[in-house]
Amino acid sequence: MSSEASNAAPETGPQRVDWVEWLVPVVIFAFCAVVAYLTTTFEKAPDIIVGDAMQPRNFPLFLVALTAVLNCVLIAQMMRDGAKTRNYQPPQTLITAILMAMFWPGTVYVDMFLTFAVIMFLMCLVWGERRIWVAALVAVLTPLVVFFTFDLALEVRFPRGVLTNIYYG
Amino acid sequence: MAEAILSMLSVFTDPYLLLLIFVTTIGGVIIGALPGLGATTGAALLLPFTLTMEPVAAITVLTTIYVSATFAGAITAILINTPGTPAAAATCFDGFPLAQRGEAGRALGIAVVASTVGGIFSVIVLSIAAPLMATIAYEFRPMEYFALTLFGLSMLASISAGGAVRNLIGGMFGVWLATIGADQVTSVERFMFGNYNLYEGLNFIPVMIGLFAMSELLVQSNKLNTVVEAVSMKAVKLPSMADYRKIWKTVLRSCGIGTFIGVLPAEGATVASMIGYSEAQRWSKNPEEFGKGSIEGVAGAEAANNAATGGAMVPTLVLGIPGSATTAVILVGLSVHGLRPGPYLFTEQVDKVYAIFGAMLVANVMFFFLGLRAAKLFARVSLVPRAILWPVVFMLSLVGAYSLNQAMMDVALVLIFGFVGYFMRRFGFSVAPVAIGLILGKMVETNLQNSLKILDGQWWMIFAQPLALLFIVLAVLGLMRPVISAQLAKRKAQRPAPLSE
Repeated sequence: MSSEASNAAPETGPQRVDWVEWLVPVVIFAFCAVVAYLTTTFEKAPDIIVGDAMQPRNFPLFLVALTAVLNCVLIAQMMRDGAKTRNYQPPQTLITAILMAMFWPGTVYVDMFLTFAVIMFLMCLVWGERRIWVAALVAVLTPLVVFFTFDLALEVRFPRGVLTNIYYG
Repeated sequence: MAEAILSMLSVFTDPYLLLLIFVTTIGGVIIGALPGLGATTGAALLLPFTLTMEPVAAITVLTTIYVSATFAGAITAILINTPGTPAAAATCFDGFPLAQRGEAGRALGIAVVASTVGGIFSVIVLSIAAPLMATIAYEFRPMEYFALTLFGLSMLASISAGGAVRNLIGGMFGVWLATIGADQVTSVERFMFGNYNLYEGLNFIPVMIGLFAMSELLVQSNKLNTVVEAVSMKAVKLPSMADYRKIWKTVLRSCGIGTFIGVLPAEGATVASMIGYSEAQRWSKNPEEFGKGSIEGVAGAEAANNAATGGAMVPTLVLGIPGSATTAVILVGLSVHGLRPGPYLFTEQVDKVYAIFGAMLVANVMFFFLGLRAAKLFARVSLVPRAILWPVVFMLSLVGAYSLNQAMMDVALVLIFGFVGYFMRRFGFSVAPVAIGLILGKMVETNLQNSLKILDGQWWMIFAQPLALLFIVLAVLGLMRPVISAQLAKRKAQRPAPLSE
């Protein structure tokens, strides 16, 4: 393999002290509280079925109690270690996340493979592909190949949409 | 026994399986050579594609991916200082310095040989140890299984990424996910919110694809500025006799370490390679060479990580407890294809089990030849632009998940767990404990419930069962290991340095 050695660029952007880290135990406690509340809404199973075993609510309750204890240990660790530095997320991450989230409504309301093509095209560009024709090629060819492979070889029927309606009739 | 050996040998004479292993080995090496796409993600992505296959062929695909991708991480570790898989991180320490001084071919040759020896050794151990362990496991009752799954969960405290507390929280989250759906004993609905698609619980495969592949996509979007430093290589060279003399003890030691670490629940190739590497340094006559291009370092790490693959299959097949994150995916594959992991697998479907062992053996031999002949070519794969690779992974993840049940619910699960996995990783949590917790969750609860019924509700009687007590003691030790290790390291650091002459 031949290629030139080059200086490695920093893996991500600049760093900052990350106070957001402290949201983690808060989120975990909130999760525990919500789960604990939800377990109170479970139906009580008849004693004749449960016998000597536990009610269905007990095991999840035990889990959240254990998680809450572990969370306290995590807080102690975080206080001991102090705030950490963390890399800024580049805008590409946020845009990628938005594109991912758009997949669901795109599939439900338009067409799965049309959505794939659009998202893949945009993702290629957002991730740094400068040649539009390459991005377009990836966005058109990959969904086509995958669609026909799954449809013909694996007999998978995809959700109906603008394009699949034309194919399925 | 004769039937078992015949089943194992049948793989060598089955052209379909041989072709499948060959193609999958190439696929596995490519997956392993692509930074970010490791054995676990590869197996999770390919799992939906195996649904139309026969069980043996399907599991062969998954195990071959596991074996070959674990090896292939070394190619990029040596040539571009980027481990293709986390298990190859220790290979970078000495592999890349060797490559920088013009010995890339030699480093790769040693990695190929050490990996092959490690892999074959572990498959042999697997073939012998698994049936023996199965005969012991026949005696297990719910109490022992409950204690064993606790032991498996406690080992999450020791896996490399994340840190003990975060891993345990991740494991608890995974176990909680397993409680979603109707309770197995009483059929009471839990956390379903009226969605009857969740009646039988979360579908494991989309969750795995989301946790591993989708979250990795978002992680990779953080690394777009990474510039790869690559070195040139002419061809892979087999080690010389002098090299063999220097590394054979290290390779054998790492084979033992890797297989043992692999057998421990939840511990995988990454931990094995780190321990294999540090033990190679500890026993070496030239420890000062480590980190500067020691062939023993490459051999120690590579033999250990591939030996862990066979080791990790032992608890997976015999007890249904994943030995690593990748075997967690393989475990799902076994269940999907009607192979119920557990001791009875070795009496009811012994032919299939040994065919899988045979396939792993063949895969190890195949990547030896592929590694020697085509490592240079595979290394080029690692230079595929992220901007093209990851959009394709995005699509394959979603189409693969959808094709399982042709349900949009599975697509939603992939997306949701992709985001969950990303945020977990962003805040220092590893996703592997969630996957392992999810798999062990039902086992823990069901066996606890059954134990309580058998013991008339007297839960403390679990401690009166000798084997269960042993596993609980091991679980406590597993939980304490990070604390004990930290204390030992602290004492070592505080010890006064010997006075120099």
